[in-house]
Amino acid sequence: MKRKFLAMGFGLAMASWLATTWAEVVVVVSAENTNESMSRSELTDLFLGRRYQFPDGAPAVPIDQRERSQAYPEFYAEYLGQTPAQVRAHWSRLIFTGRGRPPHSVPNGQAMADAVADNPRAIGYLHPDHLDDRLRVVQIE
Amino acid sequence: MYKGPAAGWRFRIAPVWDQPTDQDMPLMRIFTIAAILVGLMPAGPSAAHDSDTLPRLSFDAYGTLGVVYSSEERADFVGNLLQAEGAGHSRQLSHKVDSRLGLQVTAELTPRLSSVLQVVTEQESDGRFRPGVEWANVKYDFTPDFSMRIGRMVQPTFMVSEYRKVGYATPWVRPPEEVYRMTPVTTFDGIDFSYQRRFGKYINTLRGVYGSSDAESGGGTEFRARDVMVLSNTVEWDAFLLFASVGRYRLTIEDVNPLFDAFRQFGPEGGAIADRYDADDKQVTIVTAGARYDPGGWFVMGELGSLTTRTFLGDPRGAYVTGGYRIGAFTPYVSFARIWATGETSDPGLSTDGLPPPLAETARQLNFTLNELLASGVRQKSLSLGTRWDFARNMALTFQYEYLDLSSDSPGAFVNIQPGFRPGGSASIVSLTLDFVL
Repeated sequence: MKRKFLAMGFGLAMASWLATTWAEVVVVVSAENTNESMSRSELTDLFLGRRYQFPDGAPAVPIDQRERSQAYPEFYAEYLGQTPAQVRAHWSRLIFTGRGRPPHSVPNGQAMADAVADNPRAIGYLHPDHLDDRLRVVQIE
Repeated sequence: MYKGPAAGWRFRIAPVWDQPTDQDMPLMRIFTIAAILVGLMPAGPSAAHDSDTLPRLSFDAYGTLGVVYSSEERADFVGNLLQAEGAGHSRQLSHKVDSRLGLQVTAELTPRLSSVLQVVTEQESDGRFRPGVEWANVKYDFTPDFSMRIGRMVQPTFMVSEYRKVGYATPWVRPPEEVYRMTPVTTFDGIDFSYQRRFGKYINTLRGVYGSSDAESGGGTEFRARDVMVLSNTVEWDAFLLFASVGRYRLTIEDVNPLFDAFRQFGPEGGAIADRYDADDKQVTIVTAGARYDPGGWFVMGELGSLTTRTFLGDPRGAYVTGGYRIGAFTPYVSFARIWATGETSDPGLSTDGLPPPLAETARQLNFTLNELLASGVRQKSLSLGTRWDFARNMALTFQYEYLDLSSDSPGAFVNIQPGFRPGGSASIVSLTLDFVL
């Protein structure tokens, strides 16, 4: 009996671990933000400093997770099709010509949830386990 | 009597000099005051940056540690005309060709006003590593899409001109010299604007610059460029980028004036030769077109440039095409480049018929010197094979093998030519660079 519970507990732990590690990173805005969807190229332009507005015209502030985080390489691979090295080369071109700087970054998914919830202009990304009712997932088409 | 320039320095068709030598400090002060006044202008809709943390200072750095081997021992392979020495003759393995350190401070003062100072330490025209100001300007964003800068900037003459020194941001060990050496001016002091506009999925960026520049080549020759104007346009959509640029300036190279003054003493015939080839306030035009396709897993890019000078520098054309494939952390690439002359590479010069013997001898010497100058332009082809390895965060190693094939009579991109050097020969160049950004 005890062993069965242990096995179940282990199974649940495994399942939740798999859920957090395998679940895809989602793009989020504040629940106050009215943008429900955007195209992949709009998202790409926002995070590469080529666009400064949401599809509805409101100013947008992209927020990154740290490069060492798990979400960072996943987000850039999944949504922008770029490796961290390609993203870094891109920003090097803008930084060292005085034409832009990468988005402000936060240390982890929880910090991302808080930062996006605090700012209706913010847009970020996180693993779904950090989702709460202060945030809304943006559909990327 | 002009002693001939070939003894002291060698001139190539396509000089590059990177650091203006005079620092217009009073001018910079005026720029700063102007920029502060601009900053006091009433604010319209502001840029979308997070303004809570302003003003903000950021420090960034980039650099390259590089070694180059050249199979040509009777001359030096250098990275640009500014450099006094390189690989081959001066050293078998040179660290002076590609190594540099760039340090930058960015001050974001308000959401619209920012300032950048970038100092690059690299080999200067005296062969020593010394810091020079690459960027020093104040930028004002009228809107997120329209900005103006005042101070020192880099001309957008070629597709990667503005970040050509950031090895980490380019696929090669150095930009193909067959194109990037064509512009005799790279930085300038003045004003520029940038205007970006979207047309559906197309992003169009128009840039214009106006200013002036002074510089010194590796041999100590001074150049002066005035009324520098460049207009460049970039269109980006999906994985495509198209680039076009037109640049003009008035060029003066005083070191060659004595030669052409001597020609002028030979009457109308000498005067015509001097007017045709001197570099005294001559209009220079450079036209460039480029394209890049980079869907992520691979890329191909190329550029074509054309310089028109009406000076002894001639009218070179240069082109390159580079393709690469990304396999994990490795990006192997292949590059083909060529620079060729469309203007005269020789001239009959003064006719010596009927001149008294001492004058005829002087005329022959002048003709010889002129033809040395005309022939010394860079004319060459190169095939490069290399690979970049992104082995760590912020760092990449790039290895490149380059086969140089010099056109007949041309010393190609070599400097410090020693006795026994054969113009029109070939050489192998092997380069290894470690590029980083911080």
